[in-house]
Amino acid sequence: MAKSVHMLDSIARVTGTVPYTANLKLPQMLYAKVLRSWLPHARIVHIDTSRAEQMPGVVAVLTAADLNQPGGPTTFYGVQHKDQPIVATDRVRYIGEPVAIIAAESTDIAEAALHEIEVEYKELPAVYDEIQAMQPCAPVLHGDYPDNCFRHARLRHGDIEVGFAAADEIIEEMYFSPTANHVTLEPHVTAAQWQDGKLTIWSATQAPSLVQQVIAELFNLEPEAVRVMVAPLGGGYGGKGHIRLEPMVAALAWKVNGRPVKLTLTRAETFVTVNKHAAAIHIKSGVKRDGTLTARQVTIHWNGGAYADVSPGLVGSGMLRSIGPYRIPAVQVDSYGVYTNLPPAAAFRGAMASQGTWAYESHSDSIAHRLGIEPLAFRLQNLLVDGDAFATGETLHDIHFVECLEAVASGIGWNTPLQKNSGVLKRGRGLAVMMKSTIPNSTSQCRLLLDDDGQVTLFTSTVEMGQGAHTALAQIAAEALGVPVATMNVVGPDTAQNLFDTSTNASRSTFMMGNAIINAATLLKQKLIEAAVPLLEHPPEELSVRNGVVCVTEKPELCFSLTDILRRNQLTSVDALGEFQTRVAGLDPETGQGVSTPHWHQGAGACEVEIDTETGKVAILRYWSAAFAGRVVNPELARLQNDGNVIYGIGPALLEEVIFDNGQIANPNLSDYNIPAFPDIPHNLNSVSLEGESGEFHGIGEMTLPPVAPAIANAIFDALGIRIYDLPITAEKVLRALQNE
Amino acid sequence: MRFLQPGTLEEAISTRVDNPEQSVIIAGGTAVVLMLQHGLIAPEVLISLEKIPGLDSIRIEDNRLHIGALAKLGDVADSRLVRQYFPALFAACAAVGNVRVRNQATLGGNLAEADYASDPPAALMMLDALVEVKGISGTRQISLPDLLLGFLTTTLEPDELITGVIIPIPTEQPRMAYLRYNNRSSEDRPCVGIAASATFNDAICTGLRLTVGAACEIPTRLSEIEALAVGSPLTDTRIHEIAEGYAAGIETIDDLQSSAWYRTQMIRVHIQRVLKGLRDG
Repeated sequence: MAKSVHMLDSIARVTGTVPYTANLKLPQMLYAKVLRSWLPHARIVHIDTSRAEQMPGVVAVLTAADLNQPGGPTTFYGVQHKDQPIVATDRVRYIGEPVAIIAAESTDIAEAALHEIEVEYKELPAVYDEIQAMQPCAPVLHGDYPDNCFRHARLRHGDIEVGFAAADEIIEEMYFSPTANHVTLEPHVTAAQWQDGKLTIWSATQAPSLVQQVIAELFNLEPEAVRVMVAPLGGGYGGKGHIRLEPMVAALAWKVNGRPVKLTLTRAETFVTVNKHAAAIHIKSGVKRDGTLTARQVTIHWNGGAYADVSPGLVGSGMLRSIGPYRIPAVQVDSYGVYTNLPPAAAFRGAMASQGTWAYESHSDSIAHRLGIEPLAFRLQNLLVDGDAFATGETLHDIHFVECLEAVASGIGWNTPLQKNSGVLKRGRGLAVMMKSTIPNSTSQCRLLLDDDGQVTLFTSTVEMGQGAHTALAQIAAEALGVPVATMNVVGPDTAQNLFDTSTNASRSTFMMGNAIINAATLLKQKLIEAAVPLLEHPPEELSVRNGVVCVTEKPELCFSLTDILRRNQLTSVDALGEFQTRVAGLDPETGQGVSTPHWHQGAGACEVEIDTETGKVAILRYWSAAFAGRVVNPELARLQNDGNVIYGIGPALLEEVIFDNGQIANPNLSDYNIPAFPDIPHNLNSVSLEGESGEFHGIGEMTLPPVAPAIANAIFDALGIRIYDLPITAEKVLRALQNE
Repeated sequence: MRFLQPGTLEEAISTRVDNPEQSVIIAGGTAVVLMLQHGLIAPEVLISLEKIPGLDSIRIEDNRLHIGALAKLGDVADSRLVRQYFPALFAACAAVGNVRVRNQATLGGNLAEADYASDPPAALMMLDALVEVKGISGTRQISLPDLLLGFLTTTLEPDELITGVIIPIPTEQPRMAYLRYNNRSSEDRPCVGIAASATFNDAICTGLRLTVGAACEIPTRLSEIEALAVGSPLTDTRIHEIAEGYAAGIETIDDLQSSAWYRTQMIRVHIQRVLKGLRDG
């Protein structure tokens, strides 16, 4: 099947005609602006919106006073904990928290009206650091959680004391991964219209089905009364992965009652809307002199910001994603999700695995160095293989960590001599490997429709966000139906006509929706064969579908085209629904033992860097990445995912950090918050997508990202003998470390 | 906000005089638009210079290079005259942002903004450029040290506009360079920019001009340190001494991009690199 076809909308992409939600204009549309808290933690004593409401051009001002009214939305929402108000009620918990939202005839009027709202605050003490927030005297954000910890995920595997007692060496380190921002080129944007008791929502979201469900619940509506439509996204990266602006905009539309209202965030607002979790990771390993791991203990504090959002689940995923793909007889993990007075955090491409991999793969090299074992050899000695049990106790299948790592090591020329010292410029090599669980229980549904003109339409709630999902899914459908890709059309998310899909998250679409499509195609082929039986005068078991015809398997010249079959049956179309579900047993909440995921995402990276020892600046000369793809659908798009992940990963590795000053973001713009530019991409950037015998699709949207930072840090250690513990690895940090040597 | 597009310099100046406090001049807009977007300025009147003809030429007159204030940084970098006589100015203009910024930003706007994190001012100061300024009472020419006062501040009077830059063409072509150092992304603003030119008689250095930009509030030239170079060969030791002199003599900026400590280190490192490059030709 593997075939490199261009993205279906590639022409629209290069000619700038993709209908992004950011460009959406609806008749009679109003524009929204959000009044945000300028204090990190405060009681709201009083809000006066009367002056703003009287301004010409202002149509509605929504505050918490409007919520919980008959027929309207309830106040609180949240995917796992309902702790977040649509707009602040009696308290604000971070700088940037929405306090009121205004709908007006223009953005300028809405903006001007913001200044006319008076809010009286009484400031409260605040806490920003995820470890300090759990100290006994820390200010409490939510009364139900007096220690600010909204989730403590535990894993207990083997006897940790025995494991450490059996070790010859114990290596204990602390790693930090700061807040970072997704920086989608298209900011968060949502439009909503409330008409006759029904809501229509246009949103740049990765989770249309979830948005429908949460909004329906918030408004106490049947899901069918909420229609969610999603145009292609200008990037998502997890930042649009769950509920974001939709409750606030839907509530405002409800108050407006009739006209549509649209909210488009500014760049600065995206920084106070959702970020990557900052994490403090304490990792301690016991190891025998021969390199055998005996025990590992990991304690992570995840900075969840002021509201739990999707963090409770992610803190559990983060527990699994902080251990590493190694055979370790005794493992103990404590993963704490912590409230702080910062903006909420959510999944960030390579979710939780990026922070975990940063720690355990930097740590791998520290162990190897302590033992005097070559870093690749240390990993190969301990890597999990098929049939091994993971720290959850589950038996692993389709495991290819060794192949991933060997592929990148071979690509980079790991075993060829390296000229390390040439005066000011010093070179080094490093590598890293990652493992990531996917969503344990999820569902994808789709519909395939064949028209009598031979066109096939795939109706799918998978979101196209630049990753090429619609193209890959069209290829899967075309192959499963035995029709050319050119006959495929894809209709993206619209809950009024498309079926359920959990979300376009966690690199699940090719696997989950791909299998739903294969199931739909099987049913559709059966229907076509049955319709062909009277025409071909053979029983169904003797017929097959291939190359756009139904034919007698033994005599392929006896055939009818699919369009002929429809016409001769007086059908204008024929369709079939497909579904694919994963259900796993889950983990014991006390011990983290059980089955956590239907399969594992696997990736690796290796690089050669050159460091200017007078400036500390790191140049990545060569980078090789590998992802286990199971089965590649489109080699060119797979390569772009792998390479794109590496480029995206260079940001948090070397450049990106959201800097807070008492809860206030100091760099909420792309001048102060640097992302990689094209000249920062390694000239020699290569990747491989590995396939397995089972032929099962594995997602590849994230796998080559988490290894980037530790591979670079390990290469710096190889070159200079200095270990950086906190991201990003800025030139200044490297120079300081060199001068402290 | 009103957007005005006067057709002549005189009209622009009188428009400015009519709205001294509430107006902001906009040329290419790469800086002003950002400030507007971030709410740092909120003028009632925006006076665009775009429609004023003849202010974007680059030409030689009386053995001096004249660059119009509205010349784009990209045009300055592409100019054959600039490349021939002032390769340091070419390098400084070519280093700014990316091609999209360079095709929009103007040289006059760059100077009027007086942002420390910029490349062209250091090169122009090193080249002893004069800035031509026009106001109601006439035209005057001022040097860069007399124009630039500090962080986003110049000595321009409210009625004055920068009309161009004049750079004397040296009789003897010196060796010249501009070295920009980015500590973060390659499209970031500079961490440190060093503009230098030197003349040699055989190995003996007969003159040195050295300006450090981007690391300090305004570009800095230390003539007493420059003088150390003159009259002897530029040995590594001498270069080190000059670099140390600048590192010690410049108060560096501490911001989100880097600490003052780091910028001082970078001044030391990059002055040595530039001077060794000039010496070794």
